[in-house]
Amino acid sequence: MQYIVVGLGGQGILFSSRVLGHIAVAKGEHVMGSEVHGMAQRGGSVVSHFKVGPYASPLVRAGNADILLAFDQNEGVRNLHFLKPGGKAVINVHKPESLENAHLQAFIKSRNIHIALIPGYDMLRQHMGGNFLFLNVLILGALAGTGMADVSMEEIRQAVAELAPAKARDANLAVLELGYKHFAS
Amino acid sequence: MSKRMVLLGNEAIARGIVEAGCEVAVAYPGTPSSEILPAVAKYADELGTRTAVEWGVNEKVAFEVAAAASFAGKRSCAIMKQVGVNVAADALMSVAYFDLAGGFVLVAADDPGPHSSQTEQDSRSFAQFAKIPCFDPSSAVEAKHMVFDAFDLSEQYHIPVMLRPAGRVNHCREDVELGAVRPGDHPAKFVKDVRRWVCLPAHVRLTHPQLNAKNDAIRQDFESRFGAYNYELAAKKPAKLGIVAGGVSFAIVQDLLASWGREDVAVLKIGTPVPLPEKMVMDFISRHDNVLILEETYPVIENQLPDRTKVKGRHNGFVPRAGELLPEVIEELVLRALGEPGVPGASPELKAALEELQIKPKPPMLCPGCPHRASFFAIRKAVPSGIYPSDIGCYTLGVNQRMVDSVICMGASVTQPSGFYLAHRVDGKEQPLVSTIGDSTFFHMGIPGLVNAVYNRHAFVLAILDNSITAMTGGQPNPNVGTKLRKGDVGARVDIEGAVRGCGVGHVEVVEAYDMASGEKAVKAAWEYAKAHQSPAVVIFRHPCMLLRCEQEKIRVRVDEERCVGCKFCINFFNCPALVFDEGKNKAVVDDRFCVQCGTCIPVCPHGAIVRVSEEA
Repeated sequence: MQYIVVGLGGQGILFSSRVLGHIAVAKGEHVMGSEVHGMAQRGGSVVSHFKVGPYASPLVRAGNADILLAFDQNEGVRNLHFLKPGGKAVINVHKPESLENAHLQAFIKSRNIHIALIPGYDMLRQHMGGNFLFLNVLILGALAGTGMADVSMEEIRQAVAELAPAKARDANLAVLELGYKHFAS
Repeated sequence: MSKRMVLLGNEAIARGIVEAGCEVAVAYPGTPSSEILPAVAKYADELGTRTAVEWGVNEKVAFEVAAAASFAGKRSCAIMKQVGVNVAADALMSVAYFDLAGGFVLVAADDPGPHSSQTEQDSRSFAQFAKIPCFDPSSAVEAKHMVFDAFDLSEQYHIPVMLRPAGRVNHCREDVELGAVRPGDHPAKFVKDVRRWVCLPAHVRLTHPQLNAKNDAIRQDFESRFGAYNYELAAKKPAKLGIVAGGVSFAIVQDLLASWGREDVAVLKIGTPVPLPEKMVMDFISRHDNVLILEETYPVIENQLPDRTKVKGRHNGFVPRAGELLPEVIEELVLRALGEPGVPGASPELKAALEELQIKPKPPMLCPGCPHRASFFAIRKAVPSGIYPSDIGCYTLGVNQRMVDSVICMGASVTQPSGFYLAHRVDGKEQPLVSTIGDSTFFHMGIPGLVNAVYNRHAFVLAILDNSITAMTGGQPNPNVGTKLRKGDVGARVDIEGAVRGCGVGHVEVVEAYDMASGEKAVKAAWEYAKAHQSPAVVIFRHPCMLLRCEQEKIRVRVDEERCVGCKFCINFFNCPALVFDEGKNKAVVDDRFCVQCGTCIPVCPHGAIVRVSEEA
């Protein structure tokens, strides 16, 4: 399983691959990933790679990712080329209308890409007083809710409970549920 | 009793350092190496070792402190990024000749890309230059193993050993086996011996041949004894191509061949590129008609080959001579070396969509609420016709506010204005000059330049942007902060203002960075002083970094659409991620996704269009 997680520096995108890694290792699987630190983290585009399975290198080759998690809509669109034909994406949208672009839709169709949209900012404005640092668990919940990955909500819930800082544990679990229920009924 | 955990490559290296019984670890932060030392402190605390863990003031300091601990018999290590090795180079070149006592490892982290550096230099070249052996890991797991071997090799030959991870290893995440601290006792015992510890020319005439002999012996070892790092993945079918690869490139090649299911490509992995196990590589080359060499970022393996006739590499321009060897680049190179068609490039549909939607990669910016942004704005207002040299740190991003005109390396913000001053003075001209430097960078290498400017009487303003942290690399303490890494370790604070006065600067003013009016006034006064006294003057802008998450007043702002004329002044000269331009409305807007309600943007708008929300409610 090969993931690409994208967003903007400061959005906390690294937490999601930590959670997925935690789950995989508990199952005895090998994990490998690549993160961005330093200047590139300062509000700019960030791409993080994450692989579960017998891989040697931390990077996902373009056209080979199974799943794309996008914390930012534009970053999501910009990195769709990482997905393999038939790949899947969860994208946090703030301007869904721009995804109607004809070229973009042609690309998505030609590659048979399945995209799940989640209005993360609106949801966090409504439920968490606009604390957007919860985007990471919201997206993980969405990932579980769509059933895209071979990880269950229960596994994610347990990993988040273990990895989230004690003070923010309950809030994280609540937002996780919010993301999950957006797709799963 | 082993345990597997998903670690950052840097944590794996740190774990290796502690498990190997290293007792003195000193570093200066720099991407991609920064997370190693805090992890050394964490594991040392967890495993209860005595290891001294310290941030050095700069890499030369860190290297020398660690080296002398080795003179005294301790296992020690110095950790830095590749350009840090430039700073430490004077000591490195010299210590290489020493017949060390305790094992001494230099961790030099490279940054192909580069992602967060001013050069793409290859530290393996430095190992070659200094005549010290180098390990080049392909993964976090291998990096940890190499730490043990680096210490052992260093102790066996009494020579400094370099571990050179590239950024993709530093910042990879992999499940790693955690072990216990290896047994071994290295009591502090400095055996006096001037021929060994004093680098007089007469002694060097003896130690240099000794160093050469060590290199010859280590090369032999690398040919035979290090099969875990130097090995061949033979092709199952007759090989159409032989690839010699090291570092992350080797791992990428492995995944690539596995995903293709190809059995007609042989690979020779080289994990000890300096000194090169030359016989092993030449034997591999002799058995293949078509050979590709993949290594980052300089042709270090390639340069050491006595015969490159059959080799496709950097010498004949086959492999790009700059930039990171990403999987897509390696895929293209391997297919071209095989004489097979390449992969189709970017989809024209996606390209067209990105163009129509105007989606471009977002460059890094100062964080919302960053005090540097306000400081830069105040400096511009005070001295609009200035030349603005700057330095290495977050504040390099002041370039987005057009407030950074030249940057060389750590500390050069203090010396560049001297050069600008002299260049104009010899023409009889007066040129306003305001330089910017951070608190950690000031202590790193700013002080010699300041002493020089006082002594030689150079007129300029040095603005020290004191955010009480080493921010760009993730928030490490420094002398200005005074805290240390290990539990119970207490440091002492070194006061910047006192240090500046101690350098002989006669005019020093401290201002709150968010207070832009005071900042402007202070810079104007400092420039007047500098001109009048033909001497540097210093303004210290103080406000904690946003990463420290200190409590501060929340000031909600909005853009008054009636007053906003769409001039983009705030976008161009304040450059906050939370101030964006709505092309449709032709107005600036506050983006609540990024705004931290610092309120510093209110005085920025020349039309008074940025207003506080609560005032009106």
